[in-house]
Amino acid sequence: MAGKAILKGISLTIGPGEVHAVMGPNGSGKSTLAAVLAGREGYDITAGEVRYLGQDLLDLDPEERARAGLFLAFQYPVEIPGVNSTYFLKSALNEQRKHRGLAELDAMEFLKLVKEKIKLLDLNEDLLKRAVNVGFSGGEKKRNEIFQMAVLDPTLAVLDETDSGLDIDALRVVSEGVNKLRGPGKAQLVITHYQRLLNHIVPDYVHVLMEGRIVRSGGKELALELEDRGYDWISRELQLAA
Amino acid sequence: MAIRKSATGARNFSQCDSLLIGQQCGAHTFPYIEVKNTSAQIEHEATTSKIGEDQIFYCNQRGISKQDAVNMIVNGFCKEVFKELPMEFAVEAQKLLGVSLEGSVG
Repeated sequence: MAGKAILKGISLTIGPGEVHAVMGPNGSGKSTLAAVLAGREGYDITAGEVRYLGQDLLDLDPEERARAGLFLAFQYPVEIPGVNSTYFLKSALNEQRKHRGLAELDAMEFLKLVKEKIKLLDLNEDLLKRAVNVGFSGGEKKRNEIFQMAVLDPTLAVLDETDSGLDIDALRVVSEGVNKLRGPGKAQLVITHYQRLLNHIVPDYVHVLMEGRIVRSGGKELALELEDRGYDWISRELQLAA
Repeated sequence: MAIRKSATGARNFSQCDSLLIGQQCGAHTFPYIEVKNTSAQIEHEATTSKIGEDQIFYCNQRGISKQDAVNMIVNGFCKEVFKELPMEFAVEAQKLLGVSLEGSVG
């Protein structure tokens, strides 16, 4: 973006059913990683490749990535005035089903699915009658993201700072929702600044992103160590090693 | 909009909302109001907004194509007006909108 190199060295393999966490200080490139994976415009990819289920991910348009089962839970969910939430989500789901050769759901089938999934997030059904994210509180927007994730049932979900702006109760509800969506063949990449989210969503692997590089990878105990000691000790160790 | 001399106590509210599609367009709204009775209450309001790239990307990320996303956003914008129209007009307007939007996104 604007001639600035943000991501400089990311090597990451996520297997089916695995949950990976990417942690890092502000400005380390976490959200850029999410944006590049989802295909947001405005980023030049100068080197490297991303393989997704045997395909070259970077070759696909954002909507093709979504239809192939990649979901991004937005850090700042977008408002779309006048567009009904239920209609939006039904269009999205049917578009994805169509491209997978599945029959589109009719209104009744879709409603049944919605009623089942909305329970996971403890979300008020009235929200679905409103325009997409319009007039939602910060917490409702984040829960709505995970609700959409539940309905769309992605193969790889990228959660971009889903915990930011959530109070403790909302954090618990959202995390429980995400945990229920875990399963064989469902991978999750959880991007976060704080360890607290990982008390609820327990990752299989933790990676530390600093200055556009993954500088350390480990198990869930790495997150606890970061919480304890901050990010500084890693920078110091890296400087010593250099 | 015209208020005639005999229209004592008349009220009017005009709203001009514009939605910009793409980088190369602008909107100019000229409300024309002619009032010949001093007891009339006249209000006018205008807004201009733009289809945001972030809105389109949000739709794309859920699997909706660029074309469908623009259709959806524009229809959402016009819905408030359409729902005030008689049924047959609303259907017609919807169709016209669909036609005029075709190919407007690269």
